[in-house]
Amino acid sequence: MASIIVSAKERGIAGCHTCGQAVKMQNYAQIECPRCGAEVHYRKYDSINRAWAFLIAAFIMYIPANTEPMMHTTSLGNTSADTILEGVIYFLSHGDWPLALVIFSASVMLPLLKMIAIAYVLISVQRGSVSRKTEKTNLYKLAEILGKWSMLDIFVVGLMAGLVQLGALTTIAPGPACIAFAAVVILTMFAEMAFDPKLIWDQVDK
Amino acid sequence: MSSIKTIAQSDILFVCHECDALQRVPAVEPGHDAICIRCKSRLFRNPKGGIDKPLALVIAVMIMFIVANIHPIMDLTIVGVKLSTTITGAAYVFWQSGSPELAAIVWLPSVLVPGLIIAGLCYVLFSIRFQLNWPYTKPILVLIDRLLPWGMMDVFLLGILVSMVKLADLADIIIGLGFYTFVIAVVLYAATIASLEPHTLWESLQDQSGKQNEFENG
Repeated sequence: MASIIVSAKERGIAGCHTCGQAVKMQNYAQIECPRCGAEVHYRKYDSINRAWAFLIAAFIMYIPANTEPMMHTTSLGNTSADTILEGVIYFLSHGDWPLALVIFSASVMLPLLKMIAIAYVLISVQRGSVSRKTEKTNLYKLAEILGKWSMLDIFVVGLMAGLVQLGALTTIAPGPACIAFAAVVILTMFAEMAFDPKLIWDQVDK
Repeated sequence: MSSIKTIAQSDILFVCHECDALQRVPAVEPGHDAICIRCKSRLFRNPKGGIDKPLALVIAVMIMFIVANIHPIMDLTIVGVKLSTTITGAAYVFWQSGSPELAAIVWLPSVLVPGLIIAGLCYVLFSIRFQLNWPYTKPILVLIDRLLPWGMMDVFLLGILVSMVKLADLADIIIGLGFYTFVIAVVLYAATIASLEPHTLWESLQDQSGKQNEFENG
């Protein structure tokens, strides 16, 4: 007994992204939600192009984020500069592997996996793929939830620089990778917000 | 007797946020979720405890958040020099030392955005719970919806822990009151968000303004 599921769009109805109200669109492409006043549209505007633009920018920033130093530490005249991977290796060499694992996953793996996940979903929508729609939706939602944890290393550098600089012999200064890294996190968040998961479900068998 | 209507009382037409499937959703028992028939995403929940639970939690979060932000998170002693800073104090030093953009990237998601969300939720929940009809509840709730992804107190907490381990090599650390209250604020904040269903809030707000209109017409 298979029931036929229709998209709201086919019935001239759109769900408000902000309050969830089902809104009758009355031949308009975009109207104001009668309940919360936010803009309601069938699909996010120019979703795929905007998502790609943010995603490509994020990919580019990911390179300096990993090759440039994240932090300069000056202690008694000696300055050392650490990239993210060097920071991970530092913890590993001190036998602190749980911490090394946390930083490696949050700073190196997570942004990369998130970018790959969004790129995969974007490509499959552009190719008109009809397979594994539920899995793709779940992948997108997972990327949405986990993305912010990549901010970890920026917070660590920010805190250490802020806490230690007050007239101590040791100073900690942020490196150029910090801003690149923040750009990766923010741009992937924009990419994920620009993408409309409903496009996954708009693809139908021919 | 409370006149606050909850979503569970009526069948409603619902559009799935993720896959756009149009469906009629029957009543949902408190503590249960409504799941999309097509993509199995959660459409909405009907959290136990109604509006009282998130209100109680958000007041507790507010108190802990304020205490966490005016007390130092840790005292550091580096070769005899004693340092003690709050989160905002650390960001301010960072700002002065020539990285204002990075100071903003640290301070906004850890202090300002969560602060706005907490204050906004307090305002809206108070207005709904005691039927006060305070102004601007709807734009505030829209703003909270936009701000939610940018609040990163939980990530910041992990950041504090990692920097403590890193600083332990350089300095003697005494954990401050600011840190303990920040931990409690993070836990309670997560519980607040988990106990909230935006859809229920919007239904209640709609009821309130509906009633307001009746008064105006009469």
